[in-house]
Amino acid sequence: MTERPYWIAAGTVGWGAIVLIKAAYLPQFDQYAHVGPGLMPTVVGAGLVLLGLLLALQIRRGIPFNAQGAEDVNDAHVVSRPALALAIAACALPVLAMQPLGFVLTCTGCFVLVAAAFKSHAWVKNAVIGLVVSLVCWWLFRKLGVQLGGLLPIMGV
Amino acid sequence: MTGLLQGFAVALQPQNLMWCFVGTLLGTAVGVLPGIGPALTIALLLPVTVYLDPTAAFIIFAGIFYGAMYGGSTTSILLNTPGESGAMMTALEGNKMAQNGRGAAALATAAIGSFVAGTIGTLLLSFLAPPIAELAFIFKPQDYFALMILAFLSVSVVMGTSKVRGFISLFIGLSFGLVGIDKATGLQRLTFGIPDLLDGVEMTVVLVSLFAIGETLYVASRFGLHKPNLNPLAGGVRMTKEDWKRSWKPWLRGTFFGFPIGALPAGGAEIPTFLSYTVERKLSNHPEEFGHGAIEGVAGPEAANNASAAGVLVPLLTLGLPTSATAAILLAAFQNYGLQPGPMLFINSGDLVWGLIASLYIGNLMLLILNLPLVGLWVRLLFIPRPYLYAGILTFSLVGIWGASNSVVDLAMMFGVGLMGYMMRVYDFPIAPVLIGLILGPMSEVQLRRALAISQGDPMALISTPFSALLMAIAFMIVAVPAVVHWHRTRKIEPMDPTQG
Repeated sequence: MTERPYWIAAGTVGWGAIVLIKAAYLPQFDQYAHVGPGLMPTVVGAGLVLLGLLLALQIRRGIPFNAQGAEDVNDAHVVSRPALALAIAACALPVLAMQPLGFVLTCTGCFVLVAAAFKSHAWVKNAVIGLVVSLVCWWLFRKLGVQLGGLLPIMGV
Repeated sequence: MTGLLQGFAVALQPQNLMWCFVGTLLGTAVGVLPGIGPALTIALLLPVTVYLDPTAAFIIFAGIFYGAMYGGSTTSILLNTPGESGAMMTALEGNKMAQNGRGAAALATAAIGSFVAGTIGTLLLSFLAPPIAELAFIFKPQDYFALMILAFLSVSVVMGTSKVRGFISLFIGLSFGLVGIDKATGLQRLTFGIPDLLDGVEMTVVLVSLFAIGETLYVASRFGLHKPNLNPLAGGVRMTKEDWKRSWKPWLRGTFFGFPIGALPAGGAEIPTFLSYTVERKLSNHPEEFGHGAIEGVAGPEAANNASAAGVLVPLLTLGLPTSATAAILLAAFQNYGLQPGPMLFINSGDLVWGLIASLYIGNLMLLILNLPLVGLWVRLLFIPRPYLYAGILTFSLVGIWGASNSVVDLAMMFGVGLMGYMMRVYDFPIAPVLIGLILGPMSEVQLRRALAISQGDPMALISTPFSALLMAIAFMIVAVPAVVHWHRTRKIEPMDPTQG
């Protein structure tokens, strides 16, 4: 069965359309430099729409989409949805948790979730390792001058 | 020449030697480790190195850049897992050699070949860079614009398997590059009313999301460990006399494929390594060994791979034109320090450029020493449990992204672009064009505006100099020729079989 991921083409056209519409609000040309702020967005948006349509055409003809190779990937490319969901959760967590909980707790959570996505279910052990790694990172990079915020912002620390 | 001597004076300062060592060590490690490469490492180090002297920072980056190349060959030979496309050809013969118990010889020819190629490449860089940088003085805006158009087109056409997908990647990058305040008019573009986006999309955020987050999601969903069960030192550490005899010519030939092709705007390591492999197979006295572990098939491509890395630095340092993901992040690093690669860099920051080039020679030597006897040690890195490795990569990514600006918008972008990076891997979209589009898009707009402002709006000005006309013609052919060939071919065998693609 050939996979027909029309949604990618639709997404490309959609993003192109957003860029085009936004560009339409800006002046296309300019008295002095002749290239107005809207011209490049118009070109890029139009390009995206065109490319999305071309991709849709290719998909209709049934071009293959072969997943890229990577290290540590099983040869059959079997997809584990629970693992993917855990990894996605790990990447979404910082958006919600970083401000209230701070760097150390958020990273500990991410650490446990990613480890679980890679089939390590020793929750307590992973949480401890994650906490130590995050604490060391937080302390070390603060020393190096990187601003990573407070230890526990919700408590005002 | 005085420049280079002065550079050695800078690079040989104990402190800079130490940074060079740190860089090569880190570089080899990330080259060996899966899931993390040189571009990502440099991106993650950017917030830290802001507090370092730029010369020290670039010496570290150069070490990472060259070191990752050595580390990459180790994994492709021992595990048949080329971390990057440039190491694919090495894996072909190198892994067969390892299976035949000649892993040590393969590693040695790869390391020495990398050293030879890296040193010759750096030599060529030292002698070619200043005159090319001089050239940049007489470049007009339209020449730069044409050069960038050529880079856009060739990067999208060369990388990846499908041109349409390459161009989609490029245009997504270009659209990210548009976000923020337009520098010429002060108007907001694609900011959607979010104040965090006024300054534009950070290169670091996009790069880290595409590489680290995308890769983590991808590997997590398809996890399967290739156990390193080979003894790297089986069959003796040394190369035999025969091995040397069969290696030295491929090293040199590989270098002369790698350097010029790496220096072209289309650049990349795929073409020279592939060319080198093909040529070695043709010229070899033992063509029957190819496919079963021929040492020429390791020596040539490995040299070509390293020489192309040196080649990539030529357009980057002299014209400010990046042709790979790593070069794109290096350019972003230059911009972070308020430096603009090009002729002025050689004049205003001579110490930095020549110190960087000199440290490449030193780094190469360090890498040879680090890799030949210590390869057994590096292989141990492969035994790091994967759950902790990838969890650690996410933690470092968060340091890089959160530490850069403490912005939740950046974290949300990390999530979104990371998902995109996952999809790009699943559906085989090349990643480098996104980064090239992001960094070169705004630069090309500036040059376009300059060119048109000088010519008072006449678009013919864009091909008014011989050089720009030539480049535009080449750019046109890159797109047109394959399209015409394709059209001819499909017409001949029509009607096209709908089950094939």
